[in-house]
Amino acid sequence: MPNLSRRTALRLTAGMALGAALPLAGCGRDTNDAATASSAKKVDASPATGTVNVWAAQGDADVLGTVVKPFKAANPDVVVKTTLIPNAEYYTKLQAAIAAGKGPDIAQFFPESQAQFLDSSTLLPVPDGLVDKDSFFKSLWDAGVVDDVAYTVPWYAYTYALVYRSDLAKKAGVQAPTAWDDMEPFLKALQGAGAARGLGADIGWDIFNGQDVAMYAWQAGGSLVTSAGKWNLNTPQMVDALNYNASFFTSGTADTSGPTFLDAQPYFVSGKTAGMITGPWVLGQLDTAAKKTGWTSSHVATAPLPAGASSSVSFSAGGTWGVLADSGNADAAWKLVRYLAKPSTQVAQYKAYGSLPSVISAWDDSAIKSQPLLAAFFTQLKNTRAFPQVGTWQQVATRLGKEMEAVAKGKETAAKAAANIQAYAESVGTGTK
Amino acid sequence: MTSTLLPRTREAPAVPKAPARKASRARRTAVAWLFLAPFALVFVVFTAIPTVAALGLSLTDIRGADLRTPFAVDFTGIDNYLRLFQDGTFVRDILNTALFVAVGVPLTMVIGFALALALNSGIRRLRGVLRTVFFAPVVTNVVAVALIWQYAFHLDGTVNKLLGAVGFAGPNWLDDPHLAMPVVILLGVWRNFGIAMVLFLAGLQAIPQDVYEAASLDGAGRGRQLRHITLPLLLPTTLMVSVLLTVFYLQVFDEPYLLTGGGPLGSTESVALYTYRQFGAGEFGMSSAASFVMLVLVTVVSVVQFRLLRSRT
Repeated sequence: MPNLSRRTALRLTAGMALGAALPLAGCGRDTNDAATASSAKKVDASPATGTVNVWAAQGDADVLGTVVKPFKAANPDVVVKTTLIPNAEYYTKLQAAIAAGKGPDIAQFFPESQAQFLDSSTLLPVPDGLVDKDSFFKSLWDAGVVDDVAYTVPWYAYTYALVYRSDLAKKAGVQAPTAWDDMEPFLKALQGAGAARGLGADIGWDIFNGQDVAMYAWQAGGSLVTSAGKWNLNTPQMVDALNYNASFFTSGTADTSGPTFLDAQPYFVSGKTAGMITGPWVLGQLDTAAKKTGWTSSHVATAPLPAGASSSVSFSAGGTWGVLADSGNADAAWKLVRYLAKPSTQVAQYKAYGSLPSVISAWDDSAIKSQPLLAAFFTQLKNTRAFPQVGTWQQVATRLGKEMEAVAKGKETAAKAAANIQAYAESVGTGTK
Repeated sequence: MTSTLLPRTREAPAVPKAPARKASRARRTAVAWLFLAPFALVFVVFTAIPTVAALGLSLTDIRGADLRTPFAVDFTGIDNYLRLFQDGTFVRDILNTALFVAVGVPLTMVIGFALALALNSGIRRLRGVLRTVFFAPVVTNVVAVALIWQYAFHLDGTVNKLLGAVGFAGPNWLDDPHLAMPVVILLGVWRNFGIAMVLFLAGLQAIPQDVYEAASLDGAGRGRQLRHITLPLLLPTTLMVSVLLTVFYLQVFDEPYLLTGGGPLGSTESVALYTYRQFGAGEFGMSSAASFVMLVLVTVVSVVQFRLLRSRT
């Protein structure tokens, strides 16, 4: 083989790079390929047949095998194959599988971060009449709708509410706050009753913090995108939201140094903190953290979030199901999705794992109704909103979490952070051309 | 008789006929390629093609949603590179990475060299045990180590408890933008000084003992021997260690990812972490562009190091 001179090698490399880039340059996006949802075929009541491959993230889906047993019994000719994937790598693996055309028939999604998948080239539209959209919490259904086409069916639901130490509140003689302005006195009263900090605030400074600020901006009366679909983050309401969050730290009711995510429950149980703005899953874990059965019912209370200038709206989150466009057995897949959206199935899922139903009527079941601490979450779930159905929302929320850190630590003003996040959001766009 | 036979026996093996020479060379080339083929194949499939493809991607606006139709994306030229350098966080991450390299590489080399020197000369007993102990961090699971370090440098962690025992109130190491990076660098140094030590040790053992004996006879003390014999003769090893560590450290990811997540206030976020985050967000074009900036950085720094140090060896 002849020796390559440096110049030749460089030319060769440049040529290869150009070769790789040119086809891309030549093709370009077809601007007329907007999703045109085919009117989906109705799904009848006949038994499902064939194999249905289901992909889900580890966690709530761990009990899927038990929950779908009655479905399998009623549909003896169907085989349901479930693949559970660790949460952290779920979307990456799903995306790669979809790209390779090797995706499952049904995939689980998270309503707070599923926008990137809501496209007719990836998911089939939910067939007409499959489920009653009004039976779900509205925001969870809305999270799967783009251009009036629904791509996902809600499965389980959660939102944030205020979880606090009822024993300390009683000792301090205070009631749960109902407005932003009441929050600081309430948290300080809990500190007066013995807690080191009133609030165990989330200090991950990541996407979850970004979601918190977005929620506060809603509560202040703001919106995240305009009706024309443009980012709308540099607003007085966003500034209020950032200041409200920062006030927990500047007033001394929360600490930027802790607790970290894993410490949140031990801190709460030990009295190092006395409140959390968090999801319903903690309620089932506090007894374990306290190493005492019944500790939660005697020490904990819940309340809907305090209202800002506009409302006390929160965001909806949880799980949803979608059927992939490449599914070879869409009929059976939709039948399984329909089964998973039934109130009785959602109650079974609650009993097996504690996943709260996305179907409103399932909350009437005594298993859920008898849990007084869940009442605040139910109230809050009815007052939720979906995050923007924008492909870059996750990126923007993550950066929002970073800006929130700078404001909370006094390194940046809320106004500067709002301007920064708007500039960043505009630079990444909305994921559409 | 001898005059007719001798030339033939001499010439035959020394100068084969042209076609035979060609055949022999072709056979040798074929055998060489046969041995090279497995590596070449793996290199082309898993390194060369992805590298070129990534360069192509960095010139487009490909995002997560385009994975199904990667050839339908728009060619955007150097837009991604411009966006990178307009993004203050990327520039900050380059500076963070530079700080990690500028402090981490010399520190790792000095510690590795000092330990190698001690093991090579002063310490006779337990040399094997100590070598193993010092090398242990290299092979220890970094996830487990980072978790332990997180607890050690926690506000109520071991480090602050020790400081408290001697009357100092320890800071919140991992939540202070000025202190988090030193801890991250320390973890990097702790993980890698073992490699430097082993390489320096091999270099030291390759220096002939008689050079030291000659210097000793000429009256050179330990210090002068170190300065005029050990260090100059170790230059090739020093070059190799410094290039290796620089390339490692420029790509620093594990330490900040596991220990601080890039915080507080982005003070420990590296270029590799930025690239990873862009990829996770589905910004494949930006992620590829950031990777190429990294490639250029690694290449430039390595070439400069080679030039600087090779001129002295």
